[in-house]
Amino acid sequence: MGKTLGNACMVVSMLALVTARPALAHHSFAAEFDANAPVVLKGTITKMEWINPHSWIHVDVKNPDGTVTEWMVEGGTPNTLFRRGFTREAVKAGMEITVEGYRAKNGANRANGRDLILADGRRLFMGSSGTGAPVDGRDASEKK
Amino acid sequence: MKRSVAILAGVIVASAAITLGAQSRTKPYAAKTAWGDPDLQGVWDYKTITPLERPTNFGNRQFLNDEEVARLEANAAKRLDSPPDENTPANLVHAPYMTDPGRKVDEDRRTSLIVDPPDGRIPPLTSEAQQRMATRRGGGRDGGTDGPENRSSLERCITWGLPTAILPGLYNNNIRILQGPGYVAITHEMVHDTRIIPLDNRPGLSPKIHQWFGDSRGHWEGDTLVVETANFSDKTNYRGSGATLHMLEHFTRTGKNSVEYRLTVSDPTTWAKAWTIEEHMRTSEGDLYEYACHEGNYGLHNILEEARDEEKAAAAAATKP
Repeated sequence: MGKTLGNACMVVSMLALVTARPALAHHSFAAEFDANAPVVLKGTITKMEWINPHSWIHVDVKNPDGTVTEWMVEGGTPNTLFRRGFTREAVKAGMEITVEGYRAKNGANRANGRDLILADGRRLFMGSSGTGAPVDGRDASEKK
Repeated sequence: MKRSVAILAGVIVASAAITLGAQSRTKPYAAKTAWGDPDLQGVWDYKTITPLERPTNFGNRQFLNDEEVARLEANAAKRLDSPPDENTPANLVHAPYMTDPGRKVDEDRRTSLIVDPPDGRIPPLTSEAQQRMATRRGGGRDGGTDGPENRSSLERCITWGLPTAILPGLYNNNIRILQGPGYVAITHEMVHDTRIIPLDNRPGLSPKIHQWFGDSRGHWEGDTLVVETANFSDKTNYRGSGATLHMLEHFTRTGKNSVEYRLTVSDPTTWAKAWTIEEHMRTSEGDLYEYACHEGNYGLHNILEEARDEEKAAAAAATKP
Protein backbone atom coordinates (compact mmCIF):
# COMPACT_ATOMS: atom_id res chain seq x y z
CA MET A 1 0.00 0.00 0.00
CA GLY A 2 1.43 3.33 -0.95
CA LYS A 3 1.80 6.02 1.63
CA THR A 4 1.89 9.05 -0.62
CA LEU A 5 0.95 12.17 1.25
CA GLY A 6 -0.06 15.57 -0.01
CA ASN A 7 -3.43 14.44 -1.15
CA ALA A 8 -5.49 17.48 -2.04
CA CYS A 9 -8.66 15.64 -1.25
CA MET A 10 -7.50 14.98 2.27
CA VAL A 11 -8.18 17.59 4.87
CA VAL A 12 -6.41 17.22 8.16
CA SER A 13 -7.18 19.69 10.87
CA MET A 14 -7.36 19.86 14.58
CA LEU A 15 -10.73 19.29 16.12
CA ALA A 16 -11.79 19.60 19.70
CA LEU A 17 -12.13 16.19 21.25
CA VAL A 18 -15.67 15.35 22.11
CA THR A 19 -15.67 13.18 25.15
CA ALA A 20 -18.24 10.46 25.35
CA ARG A 21 -18.34 6.96 26.65
CA PRO A 22 -17.94 4.76 23.58
CA ALA A 23 -20.53 2.04 23.20
CA LEU A 24 -19.26 -1.50 23.15
CA ALA A 25 -17.85 -2.28 19.74
CA HIS A 26 -15.44 -4.87 18.50
CA HIS A 27 -12.40 -2.82 19.35
CA SER A 28 -11.56 0.56 20.77
CA PHE A 29 -11.30 3.58 18.52
CA ALA A 30 -8.40 5.12 20.41
CA ALA A 31 -6.11 2.10 19.97
CA GLU A 32 -6.23 2.44 16.21
CA PHE A 33 -7.31 5.89 15.07
CA ASP A 34 -6.66 9.53 15.86
CA ALA A 35 -9.75 11.59 16.62
CA ASN A 36 -7.61 14.68 15.98
CA ALA A 37 -6.84 13.62 12.40
CA PRO A 38 -10.05 13.85 10.38
CA VAL A 39 -9.75 13.02 6.68
CA VAL A 40 -11.99 13.54 3.69
CA LEU A 41 -11.30 11.21 0.78
CA LYS A 42 -12.94 11.19 -2.60
CA GLY A 43 -12.04 8.37 -4.89
CA THR A 44 -12.87 5.14 -6.62
CA ILE A 45 -13.61 1.88 -4.86
CA THR A 46 -11.09 -0.76 -5.93
CA LYS A 47 -12.19 -3.52 -3.60
CA MET A 48 -14.87 -4.09 -1.00
CA GLU A 49 -13.95 -6.68 1.61
CA TRP A 50 -17.14 -8.09 3.12
CA ILE A 51 -15.39 -9.47 6.16
CA ASN A 52 -16.12 -9.62 9.85
CA PRO A 53 -15.57 -8.19 12.32
CA HIS A 54 -15.60 -5.09 10.13
CA SER A 55 -15.83 -4.48 6.41
CA TRP A 56 -12.96 -2.71 4.65
CA ILE A 57 -13.35 -0.57 1.59
CA HIS A 58 -10.29 0.05 -0.55
CA VAL A 59 -10.30 3.39 -2.33
CA ASP A 60 -7.95 4.89 -4.91
CA VAL A 61 -7.65 8.63 -4.45
CA LYS A 62 -6.14 10.61 -7.33
CA ASN A 63 -3.71 13.32 -6.31
CA PRO A 64 -3.27 16.68 -8.10
CA ASP A 65 0.03 15.48 -9.59
CA GLY A 66 -1.69 12.52 -11.19
CA THR A 67 -0.42 9.92 -8.78
CA VAL A 68 -2.82 7.69 -6.94
CA THR A 69 -2.91 7.01 -3.23
CA GLU A 70 -4.44 3.79 -2.01
CA TRP A 71 -6.51 4.03 1.13
CA MET A 72 -8.37 1.43 3.11
CA VAL A 73 -11.37 2.43 5.15
CA GLU A 74 -12.99 0.55 8.00
CA GLY A 75 -16.76 0.17 7.95
CA GLY A 76 -19.32 -1.75 9.94
CA THR A 77 -20.04 -5.43 10.24
CA PRO A 78 -21.25 -7.00 6.97
CA ASN A 79 -24.14 -8.73 8.75
CA THR A 80 -25.61 -5.40 9.71
CA LEU A 81 -24.75 -3.86 6.36
CA PHE A 82 -26.79 -6.58 4.65
CA ARG A 83 -29.68 -6.17 7.08
CA ARG A 84 -29.71 -2.49 6.36
CA GLY A 85 -30.05 -3.01 2.67
CA PHE A 86 -26.61 -3.33 1.14
CA THR A 87 -25.53 -6.39 -0.80
CA ARG A 88 -22.38 -7.13 -2.77
CA GLU A 89 -24.25 -5.93 -5.82
CA ALA A 90 -24.76 -2.52 -4.23
CA VAL A 91 -21.11 -1.71 -3.61
CA LYS A 92 -18.67 -2.66 -6.33
CA ALA A 93 -15.22 -1.80 -7.62
CA GLY A 94 -15.34 1.22 -9.86
CA MET A 95 -17.96 3.12 -7.90
CA GLU A 96 -17.19 6.62 -6.70
CA ILE A 97 -17.28 7.23 -2.97
CA THR A 98 -16.64 10.05 -0.56
CA VAL A 99 -15.31 9.09 2.83
CA GLU A 100 -15.23 11.26 5.91
CA GLY A 101 -13.32 9.64 8.70
CA TYR A 102 -10.34 9.59 11.00
CA ARG A 103 -6.84 8.55 10.04
CA ALA A 104 -4.73 5.81 11.61
CA LYS A 105 -2.59 7.07 14.48
CA ASN A 106 0.67 6.15 12.76
CA GLY A 107 -0.19 8.11 9.64
CA ALA A 108 -0.77 5.06 7.44
CA ASN A 109 -3.32 5.49 4.68
CA ARG A 110 -5.97 3.81 6.76
CA ALA A 111 -9.07 5.44 8.13
CA ASN A 112 -12.13 4.76 10.20
CA GLY A 113 -15.12 5.52 8.02
CA ARG A 114 -17.39 7.90 9.83
CA ASP A 115 -19.54 8.77 6.84
CA LEU A 116 -19.40 6.83 3.57
CA ILE A 117 -21.35 8.40 0.74
CA LEU A 118 -21.78 6.79 -2.66
CA ALA A 119 -22.06 8.86 -5.82
CA ASP A 120 -25.84 8.38 -5.86
CA GLY A 121 -26.07 9.90 -2.39
CA ARG A 122 -26.70 6.68 -0.50
CA ARG A 123 -24.77 6.15 2.67
CA LEU A 124 -23.26 2.80 3.47
CA PHE A 125 -25.17 1.16 6.29
CA MET A 126 -28.09 3.50 6.05
CA GLY A 127 -30.69 0.99 4.92
CA SER A 128 -33.80 2.23 3.22
CA SER A 129 -36.56 0.45 5.08
CA GLY A 130 -35.14 0.89 8.53
CA THR A 131 -36.79 -2.31 9.66
CA GLY A 132 -33.58 -4.25 9.84
CA ALA A 133 -34.64 -6.49 6.99
CA PRO A 134 -32.80 -6.73 3.69
CA VAL A 135 -34.27 -4.55 0.97
CA ASP A 136 -35.89 -7.12 -1.25
CA GLY A 137 -38.94 -5.35 -2.59
CA ARG A 138 -41.37 -7.14 -0.30
CA ASP A 139 -41.66 -4.24 2.12
CA ALA A 140 -44.09 -1.67 0.71
CA SER A 141 -42.55 1.01 2.92
CA GLU A 142 -39.15 0.69 1.30
CA LYS A 143 -38.00 3.87 -0.33
CA LYS A 144 -37.08 3.54 -3.93
CA MET B 1 -18.46 -28.89 44.00
CA LYS B 2 -19.44 -27.28 47.32
CA ARG B 3 -18.78 -23.94 45.76
CA SER B 4 -21.06 -24.71 42.85
CA VAL B 5 -23.83 -25.85 45.15
CA ALA B 6 -23.51 -22.71 47.23
CA ILE B 7 -23.65 -20.53 44.13
CA LEU B 8 -26.65 -22.38 42.81
CA ALA B 9 -28.47 -22.09 46.14
CA GLY B 10 -27.86 -18.38 46.18
CA VAL B 11 -29.15 -17.97 42.66
CA ILE B 12 -32.28 -19.98 43.42
CA VAL B 13 -33.07 -17.91 46.49
CA ALA B 14 -32.36 -14.65 44.69
CA SER B 15 -34.47 -15.48 41.68
CA ALA B 16 -37.33 -17.48 43.20
CA ALA B 17 -39.71 -14.56 43.62
CA ILE B 18 -38.95 -13.25 40.16
CA THR B 19 -39.39 -16.70 38.65
CA LEU B 20 -42.81 -17.13 40.15
CA GLY B 21 -43.85 -13.63 39.20
CA ALA B 22 -42.76 -13.97 35.60
CA GLN B 23 -44.29 -17.38 35.05
CA SER B 24 -47.60 -16.46 36.60
CA ARG B 25 -48.23 -13.63 34.18
CA THR B 26 -47.13 -15.43 31.04
CA LYS B 27 -49.24 -17.88 29.12
CA PRO B 28 -46.86 -20.21 27.29
CA TYR B 29 -47.29 -20.84 23.60
CA ALA B 30 -48.44 -24.37 23.02
CA ALA B 31 -46.24 -25.38 20.06
CA LYS B 32 -44.46 -28.69 20.51
CA THR B 33 -41.70 -30.43 18.63
CA ALA B 34 -42.36 -33.76 16.92
CA TRP B 35 -40.99 -35.52 20.02
CA GLY B 36 -43.16 -33.52 22.41
CA ASP B 37 -40.85 -30.84 23.83
CA PRO B 38 -41.97 -27.20 23.90
CA ASP B 39 -40.86 -25.69 20.58
CA LEU B 40 -38.49 -22.74 20.96
CA GLN B 41 -36.92 -23.07 17.54
CA GLY B 42 -36.24 -20.08 15.38
CA VAL B 43 -34.01 -17.07 14.93
CA TRP B 44 -34.73 -14.66 17.74
CA ASP B 45 -33.93 -10.98 17.75
CA TYR B 46 -33.32 -9.38 21.14
CA LYS B 47 -32.25 -5.88 20.19
CA THR B 48 -33.78 -3.10 22.24
CA ILE B 49 -32.92 0.42 23.25
CA THR B 50 -33.86 -0.31 26.84
CA PRO B 51 -30.55 -0.05 28.71
CA LEU B 52 -29.17 -2.89 30.77
CA GLU B 53 -28.88 -0.63 33.80
CA ARG B 54 -31.33 2.06 34.80
CA PRO B 55 -30.03 5.54 34.08
CA THR B 56 -29.61 7.39 37.34
CA ASN B 57 -32.02 10.14 36.32
CA PHE B 58 -34.91 7.67 36.67
CA GLY B 59 -34.11 7.10 40.34
CA ASN B 60 -36.22 4.22 41.62
CA ARG B 61 -38.82 4.45 38.87
CA GLN B 62 -39.34 1.10 37.17
CA PHE B 63 -41.44 2.05 34.16
CA LEU B 64 -41.37 4.66 31.41
CA ASN B 65 -44.38 6.81 30.70
CA ASP B 66 -45.88 7.26 27.22
CA GLU B 67 -44.03 10.51 26.60
CA GLU B 68 -40.68 9.02 27.54
CA VAL B 69 -41.21 5.98 25.32
CA ALA B 70 -42.09 8.23 22.39
CA ARG B 71 -39.08 10.46 22.96
CA LEU B 72 -36.61 7.61 23.39
CA GLU B 73 -37.83 5.81 20.29
CA ALA B 74 -37.84 9.00 18.23
CA ASN B 75 -34.28 9.76 19.31
CA ALA B 76 -33.20 6.21 18.46
CA ALA B 77 -34.74 6.44 15.00
CA LYS B 78 -33.09 9.81 14.40
CA ARG B 79 -29.67 8.43 15.36
CA LEU B 80 -30.06 5.50 12.99
CA ASP B 81 -31.51 7.46 10.11
CA SER B 82 -29.25 10.50 10.19
CA PRO B 83 -25.66 10.98 9.09
CA PRO B 84 -23.17 12.05 11.74
CA ASP B 85 -23.14 15.73 12.61
CA GLU B 86 -21.13 18.03 14.84
CA ASN B 87 -22.78 16.52 17.91
CA THR B 88 -21.65 13.00 17.05
CA PRO B 89 -18.62 12.09 19.17
CA ALA B 90 -15.43 11.62 17.16
CA ASN B 91 -14.17 8.61 19.06
CA LEU B 92 -16.76 6.09 17.88
CA VAL B 93 -15.68 3.03 15.96
CA HIS B 94 -19.01 3.17 14.15
CA ALA B 95 -21.14 6.17 13.40
CA PRO B 96 -24.59 5.53 14.90
CA TYR B 97 -26.21 5.02 11.51
CA MET B 98 -23.87 2.10 10.84
CA THR B 99 -25.15 0.19 13.84
CA ASP B 100 -28.28 -1.81 14.52
CA PRO B 101 -29.15 -1.49 18.21
CA GLY B 102 -32.90 -1.30 17.70
CA ARG B 103 -35.51 1.40 17.69
CA LYS B 104 -37.91 0.24 20.37
CA VAL B 105 -37.89 -0.05 24.12
CA ASP B 106 -38.57 -3.50 25.51
CA GLU B 107 -42.28 -4.25 25.52
CA ASP B 108 -42.42 -4.13 29.32
CA ARG B 109 -41.43 -0.45 29.03
CA ARG B 110 -39.15 -0.71 32.02
CA THR B 111 -36.42 1.81 32.64
CA SER B 112 -33.81 -0.99 32.62
CA LEU B 113 -33.50 -4.62 31.60
CA ILE B 114 -32.34 -5.37 35.13
CA VAL B 115 -35.35 -6.16 37.29
CA ASP B 116 -33.40 -7.18 40.36
CA PRO B 117 -31.87 -5.54 42.36
CA PRO B 118 -34.79 -3.12 42.50
CA ASP B 119 -32.54 -0.16 41.68
CA GLY B 120 -32.06 -1.65 38.22
CA ARG B 121 -28.29 -1.65 38.43
CA ILE B 122 -25.55 -4.26 38.65
CA PRO B 123 -24.43 -4.52 42.27
CA PRO B 124 -21.06 -2.94 43.11
CA LEU B 125 -17.93 -4.97 42.59
CA THR B 126 -16.58 -6.79 45.61
CA SER B 127 -13.15 -5.81 46.86
CA GLU B 128 -11.89 -9.15 45.53
CA ALA B 129 -13.13 -8.28 42.04
CA GLN B 130 -11.57 -4.83 42.20
CA GLN B 131 -8.26 -6.40 43.14
CA ARG B 132 -8.62 -8.95 40.37
CA MET B 133 -9.23 -6.25 37.79
CA ALA B 134 -6.23 -4.27 38.98
CA THR B 135 -4.07 -7.39 38.77
CA ARG B 136 -5.30 -8.13 35.27
CA ARG B 137 -4.53 -4.61 34.12
CA GLY B 138 -1.15 -4.65 35.87
CA GLY B 139 -0.28 -7.83 34.02
CA GLY B 140 -1.18 -6.23 30.74
CA ARG B 141 -3.98 -8.69 30.22
CA ASP B 142 -6.79 -6.21 29.77
CA GLY B 143 -5.62 -3.53 27.42
CA GLY B 144 -1.89 -4.15 27.09
CA THR B 145 -0.29 -4.08 23.65
CA ASP B 146 2.75 -6.33 23.94
CA GLY B 147 0.97 -9.00 21.93
CA PRO B 148 -2.42 -10.32 20.96
CA GLU B 149 -2.77 -12.19 24.23
CA ASN B 150 -3.05 -8.82 25.98
CA ARG B 151 -6.19 -7.93 24.10
CA SER B 152 -9.75 -8.90 24.98
CA SER B 153 -11.38 -12.10 23.76
CA LEU B 154 -13.63 -9.80 21.76
CA GLU B 155 -10.81 -8.08 19.88
CA ARG B 156 -9.16 -11.42 19.33
CA CYS B 157 -12.34 -12.88 17.83
CA ILE B 158 -12.22 -15.73 20.33
CA THR B 159 -15.64 -15.16 21.82
CA TRP B 160 -18.01 -12.36 22.66
CA GLY B 161 -18.35 -14.23 25.95
CA LEU B 162 -21.29 -14.78 28.20
CA PRO B 163 -23.50 -13.16 29.16
CA THR B 164 -22.42 -10.48 26.63
CA ALA B 165 -23.40 -12.69 23.68
CA ILE B 166 -27.03 -12.62 24.77
CA LEU B 167 -27.31 -9.04 26.00
CA PRO B 168 -28.44 -6.31 23.59
CA GLY B 169 -25.54 -4.56 21.88
CA LEU B 170 -24.71 -2.35 18.94
CA TYR B 171 -25.43 -4.92 16.25
CA ASN B 172 -26.13 -8.56 15.38
CA ASN B 173 -28.47 -9.13 18.32
CA ASN B 174 -29.65 -12.55 17.26
CA ILE B 175 -29.61 -16.13 18.42
CA ARG B 176 -30.81 -19.27 16.71
CA ILE B 177 -32.41 -21.99 18.80
CA LEU B 178 -32.39 -25.47 17.31
CA GLN B 179 -33.72 -28.53 19.10
CA GLY B 180 -33.27 -32.27 18.83
CA PRO B 181 -34.39 -35.05 21.13
CA GLY B 182 -32.49 -34.51 24.36
CA TYR B 183 -30.65 -31.40 23.22
CA VAL B 184 -31.07 -27.71 22.62
CA ALA B 185 -28.50 -25.76 20.61
CA ILE B 186 -28.23 -21.99 20.90
CA THR B 187 -26.12 -20.22 18.30
CA HIS B 188 -25.14 -16.67 19.19
CA GLU B 189 -24.50 -14.51 16.14
CA MET B 190 -21.74 -12.75 18.08
CA VAL B 191 -19.13 -14.35 17.64
CA HIS B 192 -20.78 -17.39 16.06
CA ASP B 193 -20.54 -19.40 19.27
CA THR B 194 -22.91 -22.31 19.75
CA ARG B 195 -23.93 -23.84 23.04
CA ILE B 196 -24.99 -27.48 22.71
CA ILE B 197 -27.06 -28.07 25.81
CA PRO B 198 -27.91 -31.58 27.03
CA LEU B 199 -31.32 -32.01 28.61
CA ASP B 200 -30.81 -35.47 30.09
CA ASN B 201 -29.78 -34.50 33.62
CA ARG B 202 -26.20 -35.55 33.08
CA PRO B 203 -23.80 -33.97 35.56
CA GLY B 204 -21.89 -30.86 34.63
CA LEU B 205 -18.20 -30.89 33.84
CA SER B 206 -15.67 -31.37 36.60
CA PRO B 207 -15.05 -28.15 38.53
CA LYS B 208 -11.46 -28.47 37.37
CA ILE B 209 -12.48 -27.83 33.77
CA HIS B 210 -13.05 -24.24 32.70
CA GLN B 211 -14.16 -23.04 29.27
CA TRP B 212 -14.44 -19.67 27.55
CA PHE B 213 -18.18 -20.18 27.06
CA GLY B 214 -18.74 -22.23 30.21
CA ASP B 215 -20.64 -25.49 30.37
CA SER B 216 -24.42 -25.47 29.99
CA ARG B 217 -27.05 -27.96 31.17
CA GLY B 218 -30.77 -27.63 30.55
CA HIS B 219 -34.11 -28.98 31.64
CA TRP B 220 -37.77 -28.18 31.19
CA GLU B 221 -39.90 -26.63 33.90
CA GLY B 222 -43.30 -26.88 32.32
CA ASP B 223 -42.98 -25.09 28.99
CA THR B 224 -39.95 -23.11 30.11
CA LEU B 225 -36.42 -24.10 29.14
CA VAL B 226 -34.10 -23.61 32.09
CA VAL B 227 -30.37 -23.47 31.35
CA GLU B 228 -27.61 -23.31 33.91
CA THR B 229 -24.10 -22.40 32.83
CA ALA B 230 -20.97 -22.64 34.98
CA ASN B 231 -17.34 -23.75 34.58
CA PHE B 232 -16.32 -20.48 32.99
CA SER B 233 -12.73 -19.67 32.31
CA ASP B 234 -11.23 -16.85 34.31
CA LYS B 235 -10.53 -15.30 30.91
CA THR B 236 -14.24 -14.88 30.19
CA ASN B 237 -14.25 -11.68 32.25
CA TYR B 238 -17.70 -10.11 32.13
CA ARG B 239 -17.25 -6.75 33.85
CA GLY B 240 -14.52 -8.17 36.01
CA SER B 241 -16.09 -11.55 36.70
CA GLY B 242 -14.05 -14.61 37.58
CA ALA B 243 -14.21 -18.34 36.95
CA THR B 244 -17.10 -18.63 39.41
CA LEU B 245 -19.45 -16.79 37.07
CA HIS B 246 -22.81 -18.57 36.91
CA MET B 247 -25.83 -18.03 34.66
CA LEU B 248 -29.39 -19.23 35.16
CA GLU B 249 -31.58 -18.64 32.09
CA HIS B 250 -35.28 -19.12 31.46
CA PHE B 251 -36.63 -19.22 27.90
CA THR B 252 -40.42 -19.26 27.54
CA ARG B 253 -42.12 -19.08 24.18
CA THR B 254 -45.09 -16.80 24.58
CA GLY B 255 -46.36 -16.68 21.01
CA LYS B 256 -45.58 -17.63 17.45
CA ASN B 257 -43.12 -14.76 17.20
CA SER B 258 -42.11 -14.12 20.80
CA VAL B 259 -39.90 -15.54 23.53
CA GLU B 260 -39.67 -14.22 27.04
CA TYR B 261 -36.15 -14.41 28.41
CA ARG B 262 -34.92 -14.09 31.94
CA LEU B 263 -31.30 -14.31 33.04
CA THR B 264 -29.86 -14.34 36.53
CA VAL B 265 -26.12 -13.72 36.75
CA SER B 266 -24.13 -14.43 39.87
CA ASP B 267 -20.54 -14.61 40.94
CA PRO B 268 -19.97 -14.22 44.68
CA THR B 269 -16.36 -13.29 44.02
CA THR B 270 -17.46 -10.39 41.81
CA TRP B 271 -20.80 -9.05 43.05
CA ALA B 272 -22.28 -9.13 46.54
CA LYS B 273 -25.53 -10.47 45.17
CA ALA B 274 -27.01 -11.93 42.01
CA TRP B 275 -28.71 -9.73 39.43
CA THR B 276 -31.50 -10.52 37.01
CA ILE B 277 -32.65 -9.17 33.68
CA GLU B 278 -35.83 -9.74 31.72
CA GLU B 279 -36.20 -9.07 28.03
CA HIS B 280 -38.40 -10.08 25.13
CA MET B 281 -37.18 -11.63 21.91
CA ARG B 282 -38.99 -11.53 18.60
CA THR B 283 -38.75 -13.56 15.43
CA SER B 284 -35.88 -12.06 13.47
CA GLU B 285 -36.87 -10.37 10.22
CA GLY B 286 -33.93 -12.01 8.50
CA ASP B 287 -31.68 -14.98 8.99
CA LEU B 288 -28.81 -15.36 11.40
CA TYR B 289 -25.58 -14.82 9.50
CA GLU B 290 -22.14 -16.20 10.08
CA TYR B 291 -19.81 -13.90 11.96
CA ALA B 292 -16.50 -15.45 10.94
CA CYS B 293 -14.16 -13.02 12.59
CA HIS B 294 -10.58 -14.29 12.67
CA GLU B 295 -9.59 -14.10 9.04
CA GLY B 296 -10.64 -10.52 8.56
CA ASN B 297 -9.54 -9.19 11.92
CA TYR B 298 -7.35 -6.40 10.56
CA GLY B 299 -8.19 -4.35 13.63
CA LEU B 300 -6.09 -6.51 15.95
CA HIS B 301 -3.10 -6.27 13.60
CA ASN B 302 -3.55 -2.53 13.30
CA ILE B 303 -3.74 -2.01 17.08
CA LEU B 304 -0.46 -3.85 17.61
CA GLU B 305 1.17 -2.09 14.65
CA GLU B 306 0.18 1.27 16.11
CA ALA B 307 1.71 0.29 19.45
CA ARG B 308 5.01 -0.74 17.84
CA ASP B 309 5.15 2.48 15.84
CA GLU B 310 4.54 4.50 18.99
CA GLU B 311 7.41 2.68 20.69
CA LYS B 312 9.72 3.38 17.76
CA ALA B 313 8.75 7.03 17.77
CA ALA B 314 9.34 7.27 21.51
CA ALA B 315 12.75 5.56 21.18
CA ALA B 316 13.75 7.88 18.36
CA ALA B 317 12.71 10.92 20.36
CA ALA B 318 14.72 9.69 23.35
CA THR B 319 17.92 9.40 21.32
CA LYS B 320 17.73 12.90 19.90
CA PRO B 321 20.32 15.23 21.37
